[in-house]
Order: sequence, then C-alpha cells, then structure tokens
Amino acid sequence: MALSKGAAEAAEIVRNYDGPKIRVMEVCGTHTHEIFRLGIRQMLPESIELISGPGCPVCVTPVGYIDEAVMLALEKGVKIFTFGDLIRVPGTKKSLADAHSEGAEVQIVYSPMDALDYAKAHPEEEVCFLSVGFETTTPGSVIALRNAISEKVENFSLLTANKIMEPAYLALKGSADAFLYPGHVSTMTGMEVYRKIAKEWQISGVVTGFTTSEIVTALATVVRRVEEVRAGERESFAENCYPSVVTEEGSPAARKLVDKYMEPCDTEWRGLGIIPGSGMKLRDEFSKYDARVRFQLPKVQGKASPACRCGEVLRGLIRPMDCKIYGNACTPEHPVGACMVSSEGACSAYYKYGDTLKLK
Amino acid sequence: MNDKITLAHGAGGKQTSELIGGLFKKYFDNPNLTADDAAVLTPPAGRMAMSTDGFIVSPAFFPGGNIGKLSICGTVNDLACMGAKPLYISCACVIEEGFPMDTLEEIVKSMAETAAKVGVQIVSGDTKVAGKGQVDGIFITTTGVGEIMPKAELSGAYARPGDAILVTGDVGRHGCTILLERDRYGMEAEVTSDCAPLWHPVRDLIQEIPEVHVIRDATRGGVGTVLYEIADESKVGIRLDAESVPVCDEVRGVTGMLGLEPLYLACEGRLVIFVPKEKAEDAVRILREASPDTTGAAIIGEVTDHMTGHVVMATELGTETLLPPPSGELLPRIC
Amino acid sequence: MCVGIKARVSDVENGMAVIDNSGVRRKISSELIEDLAPGDYVMVHAGIAIARVTGDDSEEASEVMEAL
Repeated sequence: MALSKGAAEAAEIVRNYDGPKIRVMEVCGTHTHEIFRLGIRQMLPESIELISGPGCPVCVTPVGYIDEAVMLALEKGVKIFTFGDLIRVPGTKKSLADAHSEGAEVQIVYSPMDALDYAKAHPEEEVCFLSVGFETTTPGSVIALRNAISEKVENFSLLTANKIMEPAYLALKGSADAFLYPGHVSTMTGMEVYRKIAKEWQISGVVTGFTTSEIVTALATVVRRVEEVRAGERESFAENCYPSVVTEEGSPAARKLVDKYMEPCDTEWRGLGIIPGSGMKLRDEFSKYDARVRFQLPKVQGKASPACRCGEVLRGLIRPMDCKIYGNACTPEHPVGACMVSSEGACSAYYKYGDTLKLK
Repeated sequence: MNDKITLAHGAGGKQTSELIGGLFKKYFDNPNLTADDAAVLTPPAGRMAMSTDGFIVSPAFFPGGNIGKLSICGTVNDLACMGAKPLYISCACVIEEGFPMDTLEEIVKSMAETAAKVGVQIVSGDTKVAGKGQVDGIFITTTGVGEIMPKAELSGAYARPGDAILVTGDVGRHGCTILLERDRYGMEAEVTSDCAPLWHPVRDLIQEIPEVHVIRDATRGGVGTVLYEIADESKVGIRLDAESVPVCDEVRGVTGMLGLEPLYLACEGRLVIFVPKEKAEDAVRILREASPDTTGAAIIGEVTDHMTGHVVMATELGTETLLPPPSGELLPRIC
Repeated sequence: MCVGIKARVSDVENGMAVIDNSGVRRKISSELIEDLAPGDYVMVHAGIAIARVTGDDSEEASEVMEAL
C-alpha cells in the first residue's frame, strides 16, 4: 500500500524535522498501540519525542474497582458482564479471571446492550455491567440503563468508573508541547473543549484518527503549529485532523443523554490520584441501578503493588523501561501493573515492540 | 440401542458391547480393527512418526465440521507435518452421560469418512462415559502412527535464511467460526471452518520438492504462533509480508470489530511451509493443484538472519514493525 | 481506548441499525446519529454508532495538508 500524496508529504515534514525538541503526548491507548504497530515511532527523528498518556480506561481504572467487581462476583453472586479488556487486570488480591476460575460468573461482551439482553432473558439472575470508559463508551452504558428502566428490567445494574478527559488534560498541562487528542472521544465532545483549553490554559493539541495517514498528518500539523507557537505567531492551537469522523459540534445527543442519567464526580485515576470532576456517576434518582448501592458494597481501598510505577509512566515522567519490575516481574503474561496488562498500555506496547526494535 | 448415552454404556457390560458393535465397529470397519485388547500391526519398513492429540471443542458441531472430523484431521495433519503417511489411528472417547446417541453417531460417521478420505485405518478405540457435568458433551483423543516418506527431512529447526514461507490457505477461519457459533458478541457472518485433512497435498509437495525444510500445522495459536515457534527453534528471523497473508473478508470484519489479530486465530486445516526460495512458486502451484483444501496457498514471507527469533514486517512508511509475539488467551479489545 | 470500526449501514429502524463490516453483520444502536440511511457509513464502538463517516483518510490527508 502506498501512502497518498498528502500523507507522504506529511511524513516528510515529520521525518525531516530537526528543530528544538517537540514533546507530543498521545493521550489515547489505541494511538499508543497503533503508533508502534504502524511503524510511526520508528521513523521519528530524535527531535520529536512521543510520550504515552493516560487514555486507556483499563490502565487508569484503580485497583479498588477490580476489587469491587470481584466482590460482586464472588460474594454477592452477581453475574458480571465486561469488556474483555478488564478480565486480566490485577486487583489487590484477584483479577476477574481469578474470580472466574473460582466459580464466579464473568462474561465478556461486545456491548453493554448485550448485558441488558441477558438480564431480560434471565430475570432470576442479578446482572451487572462493568461500566468503564471515556466519553465514547459511556453513552452505550447509559442507553442500556435507560432501556432497562423503560422496559422495567429489575435485575440490571452498573458498576461505574466512567471518566471524562478534559480535567485530565488540565492535570497533565506542561507534560508535553502538544497532545494527540483521542479521535473517538472527540466524536462525542467535538472540538469546543479543545478550543476552550487552548484559549484559557494554552494547552495545544490536534485530534487524529488511527491510520498511518491520519497519525502522520496530525504529527506534521503539530510540528508546523509548534514552530509557529515558538516563533510567537500564536499562543496555542487546537486542530481537527480527523474531519472525516469528528465534527465541530461532536454529539450533542450523546451529551444530553449522558447528562440526564449521570453527573460529574471526583474520581481516582490510577497513577494520577483523584482528579476533581473527572468521573461520571449515576444521579441519585437512579441509585437503584448503581451496583454499589444495590449490593451495599463497602468502601474499598485497593492496593497496587508498591513496586509498580504505572503512575509515573501514565504521566509521561518515566519511560516503561525505567521501572525496575518492567520486563522482569512484570510482563504481559504476568502483569503487575495495568499498563502491562492492557494491550493498549504503554508498558505492554514497549514490551511487545520497543525492546526488540531498540526504540527509545 | 437407547437414544441417549447412559452410565451403563461405559460400564463394560452388555450395553458397552452394543455401543461398540453397533456404532464404532460399524463405521470404523477395516481388517486391522481389533476385537482384542490391542491391534496387531506390521510396522512400516522405514522411519515412523507418532502423534497424539486431545480434542475438546464447544460447540461440538460447527459450520465446516464437528469434533469427530477435527479429531482425525488434527492427528493426520500432525503426522503429515513430519512427511508421514498416516497409517493407523487409535481413538479414545469420553462421553457425557445423557449425550444424544444420534449426535454421537454423526460424530463417529465423520471420523470414519475423514479417515477414509485420507486412507488411514482406525484400529483401536476406547469409550468411557462420565457423569453429567463432568465433561462438556464429548472429548476425543486420537493417536496416530505414520510412515515417513524416505525423501522427507523435516523439522521446526530446519528453517534457513533464504527460505520462502507459505501458508496453504486463508488464515483464522476455524477460530472465527467457533467465535461466531458461541454467539457471545451478536455478530453474524457466513464463515466455515477450514478444518481439513492435509496429507495428500503434503505428499504431492514432498514428492516433487523433497527440499521442503519445515511444515507445521497452525492450530490453536494460529499462523502467528507457528512463525514465532519456527523463528525460535531454527534461530532465524522472519520477514512477513502482511499484505500477502490471505484473510477472508468475514475474518477481517470480526477481528476488526473485536480488536483481534487474524494471524492469532485458530486454524484446523492450514499448514505453514518453509521451502528454499527458488522452489516457492512451484510449491504454491503443486499445493493449489493438490486438493480443494489448499487452493488458497500463498507465499507470505521469507526467512532472514536479521532479528533472530522475531517476526518483522515492513510498514507503509518503509520502517519495520513486529508482529506482536503470541500472548495467551485472545481477549476482545473494546475500550 | 475506544476501538472503532468503520461499517456500512444496511438497515435502520427505531434508533437501531444493522451494520455490515466485510460481510459481518451486527445490530447496533444508531440513535445518536440523525437521519441515518442504508448505504451510509458510521464509526461503531461497543455496539453503538458514534459518528457518521464522511470520507476516507487520503481525502482527509490532502484536506489537512492543504490547510497547513
């Protein structure tokens, strides 16, 4: 496959950049993964540094959340439905895979609606969907919840750990010269949030998709715009390099829907700590569908392995290989930290590609 | 005979003999099938290959085959990978109490048909019945012996820089078929398993090109796992041309939606073959002509002495990337 | 995060759509996208259509590069 003219041109801009160092944080885990897989990191000059950010729900979901899910499954007799991504994430003592091998009911689904369908077909069982994810994924959980309410499905609940990205950008301000904003989150938020943080906080970035062409055109845009910022021609920037999918206004319908059933809350991000207003929880009037309330879960304080430095990796402070247990005690087969267990985590991506390709 | 398997069918008495006589012997009938405790056979004159494999698959019936066909194909293909003509097979069935008799009959019939197609004799068997819930329907273990073609010198350690790498057809269809049949993800597509016995294409290939270095059956780990195994066992590097790997549309669609890699989906009728580069085109031609099960044969890469132990691919940008090494159970990636 | 796949809409009814991705069909929620019709392309994530797809990445690349 040959690159299109535009993409080839973009690749040249990126490849030939030799000015002062530009630090770019790819926020999204899929970007981290694809940038390695598509050979993009391999072509970068030394003057462009890519940092892997916190945009993988699995990586930033705190240990305590897994403990809650394991407790629901093993102690409360609830059948757990989840995306496959979460199955192997270690909790304080157990992962969901461990709970399954002890007899807990844990089923992988493609969509939260599939969990609701199961609940409808099995009214005698308690069904809980593990509602994780960012702006892209949350509306699916909310649609399932709304349908459960309207169809009077009484045995369905959500264990929420939904997050919103904007507060995270503020928390990460200064970590990089520009962000590669997550393409699919942006289908929901639209461009407004990026224009706002560019104006108010001088946080710069570009929205991009997931093909070679999309990622290199975004990087070329970052190079040109950062040059302009450094030359004093502009203060900051927010650009849409994924216009075939992301629109200026995003999805007002999705935002309205989510807003009806959920409200912002303070929430813990693994490694980043509590970020005010960065989580989404069910509104009080829907607490009957909140698994924490429904099954009276005690407050759980999960304990991550003390040796694990996922937090610093997620903030771009250290590279995965700077962590002592990386590649020894912590491997994709026996992950200690979430960045290794998630196939989109920075540690897993470095482990799979980086070491062998001798990438920095 | 009852319409369901009962514990009495496994107790060694009258019902056991009825089951064996009325079903297994009826379908497996051949001069070497033993009525005694062991089959008495004449060993081949040359070298012999022997292999055993256990089969559990849920569901037991799927588009393109069933556990019976699978249990013969698996062992036949393992023998074929050593260049061995399959001669004899033994089989052990562990059946769950309550298993429908007509379903069992269909499985046994498939075993017999597949064996007949290859020309291998099922010479000995065993039947056990396990209590309800102790097994999932039926488990089958087959063991086979075969006579290695005098010309064949095959091993996973024999890949050499300069070899071309072939697959005998599109990858990942068995795994994809099973995934869809389990209906966990609400997806529909017309895909059939690639499950097939591949002795005849291997025979034709080695007859004409005895220089074949490696043949390996890509089963549960898929073609990707085989490539990493051979890179490791032969201490070579592998350059994979990702775009030339045959993948049918439906497999691409399913793996795209679930964030999976087609090269790591299971196959049950696909071989990965390493042959000196100058013989590669001939090998493809021979395979395509040899059997309807290998008409999709294609060259997918080559062996190098670069980055030993790894499978490397060229990217659109002219850089190199890796096929991510195999890592255990395939889990769909969504969020 | 957010694995998305581009798929063709083959049927739409009451906020639900059947999509076809290389011969693989699945029922998804399409209520977030207005005026969807068979033949349109959407980005699908976890069983919902999250956006309409209005072009391919090579057109997009020339658009973005021109703007630069």
